[in-house]
Order: sequence, then structure tokens, then C-alpha cells
Amino acid sequence: MALTEDRPLALPSGDSNDGYTPTGVFTRPTAETGPRSWFTTVDHKKIGIMYGTAAIFFFIVGGVEALLIRMQLWSPRGTLLSANLYNQIYTMHGTTMVFLVVMPIGAAFANYLIPLQIGARDVAFPRINAFSFWAFLAGGVFLNSSWFLGGGADGGWFMYAPNSGVIFSPTNGIDFWNLGLLITGIASLTGAVNLIVTVLNMRAPGMTLMRMPIFTWMALVSQFLLLFAIPVLTSAQVLLMLDRLFDANFFNVAKGANPLLWQHLFWIFGHPEVYLMILPAFGLVSEILPTFARKPIFGYPFIVFSGIAIGFMGWGVWAHHMFVSGIGPISVTAFSLTTMFIAVPTGVKILNWTATMWGGKLNFSAPMLFSIGLVTMFTIGGLSGVMHSVAPMDTQQTDTYFIVAHFHYVLFGGAFFGFMGAFYFYWPKAFGYMLNESIGKANFWLMLLGFNLTFAPMHVLGLQGMSRRIYTYDAGYGFEFWNKVATIGAFTLASSIALFIFNIFYSKSKAKTLPPVGPDPWDSRTIEWMTPSPTPVYNFDPIPTVTRVDDFWYRKYGETKDGKLVRIASTAEVAQKRTDGKGIHLPSPSYWPIVLAFGLPIVAYGLIFSLWLALIGGIVVVAALYGWIMEPPDDPDAVHDDHGPEAHASDGGDAAVPDSADAVKEVETVG
Amino acid sequence: MTITSHDDVPTTVLDGAVKDYSRDKVYVLTAIFLAVLTIIEVFTYTAPDFPLWAEELLIPVLMILMAVKLFTILYIFMHLKFDKPILTRIFYSGLILAMFVYIVMLATFRFWF
Amino acid sequence: MAETLTSRPTLADADAHQAHAHIEADTNTGISNTKLGMWLFLASECLLFGGLITTYLLYRRPLEGPTPDEIFDIPFTSTSSFVLLMSSLTMVLAVSAIERGEHQRMRVWLGATAVLGATFMAGQIYEFTVFVREGLGFTTSRFSSAFYTLTGFHGIHVTVGIIMLVSLVLLSLRGKIPEHKAETVEIVGLYWHFVDVVWVVIFAVVYLIPT
Repeated sequence: MALTEDRPLALPSGDSNDGYTPTGVFTRPTAETGPRSWFTTVDHKKIGIMYGTAAIFFFIVGGVEALLIRMQLWSPRGTLLSANLYNQIYTMHGTTMVFLVVMPIGAAFANYLIPLQIGARDVAFPRINAFSFWAFLAGGVFLNSSWFLGGGADGGWFMYAPNSGVIFSPTNGIDFWNLGLLITGIASLTGAVNLIVTVLNMRAPGMTLMRMPIFTWMALVSQFLLLFAIPVLTSAQVLLMLDRLFDANFFNVAKGANPLLWQHLFWIFGHPEVYLMILPAFGLVSEILPTFARKPIFGYPFIVFSGIAIGFMGWGVWAHHMFVSGIGPISVTAFSLTTMFIAVPTGVKILNWTATMWGGKLNFSAPMLFSIGLVTMFTIGGLSGVMHSVAPMDTQQTDTYFIVAHFHYVLFGGAFFGFMGAFYFYWPKAFGYMLNESIGKANFWLMLLGFNLTFAPMHVLGLQGMSRRIYTYDAGYGFEFWNKVATIGAFTLASSIALFIFNIFYSKSKAKTLPPVGPDPWDSRTIEWMTPSPTPVYNFDPIPTVTRVDDFWYRKYGETKDGKLVRIASTAEVAQKRTDGKGIHLPSPSYWPIVLAFGLPIVAYGLIFSLWLALIGGIVVVAALYGWIMEPPDDPDAVHDDHGPEAHASDGGDAAVPDSADAVKEVETVG
Repeated sequence: MTITSHDDVPTTVLDGAVKDYSRDKVYVLTAIFLAVLTIIEVFTYTAPDFPLWAEELLIPVLMILMAVKLFTILYIFMHLKFDKPILTRIFYSGLILAMFVYIVMLATFRFWF
Repeated sequence: MAETLTSRPTLADADAHQAHAHIEADTNTGISNTKLGMWLFLASECLLFGGLITTYLLYRRPLEGPTPDEIFDIPFTSTSSFVLLMSSLTMVLAVSAIERGEHQRMRVWLGATAVLGATFMAGQIYEFTVFVREGLGFTTSRFSSAFYTLTGFHGIHVTVGIIMLVSLVLLSLRGKIPEHKAETVEIVGLYWHFVDVVWVVIFAVVYLIPT
């Protein structure tokens, strides 16, 4: 195990910055610790952590909005919020939770885990990765700044036109919504290109597509969905923006506009959107369940192909959101059928997870509990979803609380339970300490209780006829009791989140007295657990060669002839040791991603308030782009320098040995 | 598994690149072909009564001409013919998906009937 | 007991001694990251322009103001379309030149491409001013909004392309585009051709199909 003595992959070109003078003023930042290292980082792990942190911050914002909604609905004729403010709060709650919480948590895990799971040093375009995060944050902050600049958007998260026009919503809230989501859309699009290229191009030796961990597969499918769904939303938002800011006629019914245009464009985006939110959680659960059942995932190809099938079929069902909009019987029938069909691949996944647990030696740890929570709660949400595919039934349920119950079971009970499980599961890998297991279990049960108290009564309320998006209700319709239950549930749910945040700090303070967590605390299966915890900056040293699915597991375990599991090596033997990482070339940090990202909201403020400001923002963006292009290459020795590879030795100081190892090629300066 | 060696810069950098001028001839011929198609397109406007594209034939003829031009540019100028098939697949997935969703959307608006 | 086990390579060291660990595997697909990224971006652009073209198709018959058949100047637009089409030829010749290592020739062709693109843009601006003078403002009708948005969006893409071409020429003059970076030219070229492809569609769907 003498890794440090015998390191054939090491490059002799490691720290040869002496004698290299970059052109002009554009030196690259070098800080590795402190705030500046975070602002300029291009490390996919730091970016993933920042995505997660920002998403949890926005989750608290959206959660407070949810609590305000529930307090308003505590009793009939509630007076906490005015109708106008209520409209803004539920709109911003939905927008925040979808675009600033669930999507970025998916992005956080994708960023952190994909390079680790495929055995890469970083993503394909590290600087674009940093830009994606900062643009997401800039867009989210911009969107929420509307609270202080005249009020939030008030058209619902789907922002149906022409209700979202200037006549019906004269404040700037919807402009903030439009432009903020255009910015986060740019972030999502660049992130999607980046991660797809990473998965297709940067896998470790032997890591064929059908050996990739399920999470990487599901994240890949959801990035493809993003790649194709975001531009549809962008086109719709550009139309709405031109209508609101420049008096165009796309949704001006007086000039012959068709209001259904917005609904179609929005839901062509919107339905793939719901699948791209849930698929990363499906992937995470598919990592957690086999680990704690100590069995391989049941039917790996089926779970992969059902994910791909969901990705394809998700494009053919959008009009089921529009059954009551008068699209005609043929359209309703067609979309009703496709919606029923899409339940099949989802059902395949539920079957796979159940069969994975069947006969396994189940260990009910906190991550496992959350994962089982996903399987059960998502099944409930999925079944009420199939109910909606039946058009006559959907006509009854449209715009009632039944729909609210359905999509919270899918998005909270599905996606968020999966994310919570994954937080507990991957916490030691990212931060080097375990979250407290007992608090974790209490966290799960409290969350399960609060979640069901909040959203199960909404099924009843919906069937009783209580409308969504109505800021109050009269006494005597039978709505009082279940609304009170839901409000109590919402506060229970909030306390479970508080418990989770407490657990983070509690466990961190306790961790000092505990032995350091090893690379593989859960006895896991995939190669990200081979590397020390917290993950070293270079990820792997050396890059592992993969020979099959669950490669790491089969380095630890073998099978006897009668199929019994036998340990053949201890974790300490097969896991990698922390090395100094010398000789591994990693991409250098850069200032430009954050400069570019924060130029975008300046342009957006300018479009709303003064076109001069937009001009200034435009100059910042263009300057940042040129700074980005002109930035000196990461590594003076890399072949990406302005000299051919043969000019190496004369220029790069001590780099005399031809760089034949894999490290150099990992870094594209273009990214 | 592609193994790249550095000895043959520049042509190996570009997939399917050739060192002589033979490819340029192909490009010029392609451009002439595209120009001819464009001229035919314009003829449908200047001579609308020509039997080949008269009446209800006009839109199909224009669509076919458009598609031929589009795929010629994709295959020759954008090198899909000479490049790895995965690029063709990626682009087609976007193109076909766009055609699918938007044609279905126009159909729900009863655009054609 | 040990002989009943299926043996597996168990040590991390083994990875380093694997036969292919020493070979510099460029990328798994054999395509550079940037080129793959550009094609993914272009694929997603299909959905963006598709949405705008669909909007135009829905709205091309205005309730008031000039109609497309009244206002379009087909001979003029055909000429500018032809100019843009020929800029694809000069672009591909620039890529071909850098493949052979001919820098000066590449700069000439890139410059020609930028000039042709600028000519197209000048034509579009002229067309827009004529239309506005004839009473087709951006806010006049549903047709005018859809038309200006679609063609304007395409125009923005052409402008960005021209800026990239000029930047490439300047970078090349400063010696910043050596042969092993020649692919940058090809990738800008992909973008340029795609913009041309979009115009091929717009020319047929917007201009030539009569309402």
C-alpha cells in the first residue's frame, strides 16, 4: 500500500509556477482557503456545497412563506394577509421551492457526486460550472429582491397569461419573476451542458455507461431534460417580458392573441420540469437502498431504462395540465392516454426499489428511513397523479387543494425526502463527520408526521371543493377542521427542518471528540466511497479502473459458490489513502465567473428601471466575457498554452518529461 | 477508446480533417447547390403559376427545399458527415423533439384543419 | 475458503497498474469537450427557435395593420438570405484553412464571413426601418410582435456571431490561435452555420409561405 512511493500517475509538472509570468494583468487567483477561495473556486465539490447551502437558505425563505400561508388559512376569514399579499406569497413560495430549492439541491448533488461517481478530477468546464452557480444565486437574489422593490410576483408559479399582463398585475413583481428566472435558466442551461459533457467524456477507465452508478444515470437524464426544457421556458418568458416591458401583443387578447399559447409553452417546459426535479432524488435513493439492504439494486438495466423512458415520455404529457382549458376532446383523450402510460416506467422503479429491499438485511439508519419515506410517499403522490390522468376526474379536481396535495406528495414526499436521506448519507463524504443518527431518526419521524399532517388533509379539502390560491374561506363549508390540521402539520414540518439544522451544528461540535470518519462509513458500493472523507481536492489518486457495476463493493466482497456474501478485503485495504496530491494538475480558480454572473442582474434591473443601467450591466458582461477568454491558461505546462507541446521544456521551467498521464487533459481552459 | 498522440498537430485535432484542398472543392460545390435551391425557392414567388409548385403543392415544395438545404448545411458545412455519430444523435434529439412538441402544440390549436 | 471466492482486484494500487491507466485517453467519446458542449447547446437552441417560430405561425395573420403579403419585399430578403448563405461557405473555408495551418488565409475567410454577416444585419436593419415607415411598428399587431421578435432574436444571434468572428481574427493576429487550438475556429463555425440554418427555416416559413 505504498501509494506515495509508487505513483506512476504523478506529473513532474506540479508546482512550477516560478519562472512563469502570465500575460498582462490577468493573473489567476490562487487562494485555497478563506472567503476568496470560495468566490473564485472552480472545484466542483465546493460549488456543490455552495449550491446546497444556497438552496437551504432559499428553502427557509420559501418555508417561511409556506407558514404564512398556513397561518392565514388557520381559521375562516383570516386577516393575517391581504388578498394581494397572499397572491404574492403563494406565487413566490412555489417559484422559490421549484427553481431555487429543489432544482439547485439536485444540482448540488449532481455537481458533488457526478465527477466522484465516474472517477473524474472535475467537471468538463470548471469555470462554466462556477458561473452556473453564481448565475443561479444572482437570479435567486434578484427574484427575491422584488420584495423590497414594490412587491413580489403575484400570478402563481405558472404565471398564466394574460392574467400576468400589466393590466392585471401593474407592479414590477412579474418582471422580477421573468428576468430572475431567465437568469437561473441560463445557469441551468450552462450547468446541463457542462454535466452532460462531463458524463459523456470524462469517465474513468472501464467506466462504461452501463457501469455508471444509478445516480449519475438519473442526473444525466435530468440534465438532458433541463437542456431541452429550459429553452422552451426561455422563449415563453421572452414573449411575456416583451409584452410587459415593451408592449408587444403576444398575450394581448384585444389584438387577437391566444391565451393558450402561454399555457402550452409553459407546460411543455413544466412537465419535463417535474421529472427533472424528481429524477435526481430517484437516483439518490437508488444509491441508498442497496447500501442499507446490502444487496445490489434489483434490475440495474430496468431502472436505468425506465429513467430514460420517463425522460422521453415526459415530453408527451404536458396538456394534462390544461384539461379544463378547452383544448378539445381529441387532445384531451390523447394526453389522457399518454399520462396513463407514463405511470408505467415510474411503477417499474417502485417495483425495483421494493425488490431491492426484499430479502435484504435491512439496516434502518436515517438515510434508509428517508429513502423508504420517498418510496411510500411518492407512491401515494403517484397514485393521485394517475387519478388526474382520467380527464373527467381531473375536471373535478383542477384548481382544488387535491392538486396541491398531489404535487406536494410528489415533490416534498418524493424529491425532498430523497434529498434529506442523501444529506444524511453523503454528509460524511462532504464534510468529514457523521450527522447524529438518533437525531436523524427523530428528524425522519417528525418530518413524516408533519408532512402527512400538512398534506393528507388537503386531499379531503380538495374533494370538499376548497379552491387553491384563494386567500380565505367562509365558515360553514366544513373546511375549518382540516385546515387547522394542515396548519399544525406545517409547523411540525418546520420543526423537523429546525431539528435537521440543529443536527448539523450539534454533530459538528460533537465530531471533535469522535474518531475521524473513514472513507466508507456505510460500507457502500460505488467508487466515491473509495476516496478519503472529506473528499480531497484531487478526488482520486490514482484514478480507479472500473470493472463492473458497484465496483467498490466487489473490491470488498466476493461470493461463495452458493451465492453467500464473503468479505475478501477490509475497507482500509481497498480504500485510497490521502496523499499530498502533488503532480495532479487541477483547474485554477478564476474571478470571471462571479463577475459575469453578477453582470446579469444589473442588466435585469436596467430592463425594469432604466435602460442606462442595462447598458452598464451589458458592459460588465462583455468585459467579463473578454476577461474570461483572455485569462491565462490554468497551467503553464499544459498543452493548452499558446505553444505546441514541443515547446514545453523551453518555457515551463522544470517540465522536461512529456505529459502522458491523464491529469493534464482533464482541464480545458475554455471552460 | 480514442488515444490521441500529439505528433500530428494540427489535423488530428479536427475530426475528419484533410490536409489538401480536396475538401474545399466539395464546399464550393455545396455552396453552388445551396444557391441553386435558393433560386428555385425565389422562383416559387416570382413565378407562382409554374405547375410544379402551383396551388396546394407550394407548401410541400418549399418545405422539401428547406429541408434539403438544412440537412446539406448540417452534413457538409457542419461536418456531421465526417464527424462522430454521437453528435448527429445529440442534434437530432433536439431537432426531432422540437418538431414533435411544437407540431403537437400547433395541432391542439387546430392549425391545419 | 479462499479458493471458493471469485477473485477480484482488491487494491487501489492495482488501478495504477491497469494497462489503460497509463494511456492518455483523450475523452471517452473521442470528441473534445468544447465541441460536444457546442452541439448540445445547438440542440437546445432548436427548442428556443422552435417556440418563436411556432408563435409566429400562430400569429402571422394580423387583425389590423399591414399583413405579411403586403409588406414583405421578397427580392430584397432573398438577396440578404443569399448573402448569409454564402457566409457559411466562407466560414467553412476558414475552418479548412486552419486545418491546413494556413493562418493568413483563415483570417481572410473569417473576415469575409464577418463582412457578409454584417451585410446581412445591415439589410435586416434597413428592412425593419422600411417596415416601421410603412406602418408596421413592434406593437402594431400580433403579427408584427411575432415577426420582429423572431427575426430580431435571429439578428441578435448573428450579431453575437460577428463579434465572435472579429474576436477570432484579432486573437489570431496576436498569435493566440495556434494549430492545436484550431478547433476553436471550428466551434465558432458550428455556431455560425447553425444561425444560417435557422435563417433557412425562417426564410421559407416566414417569408415564402404566403398567408
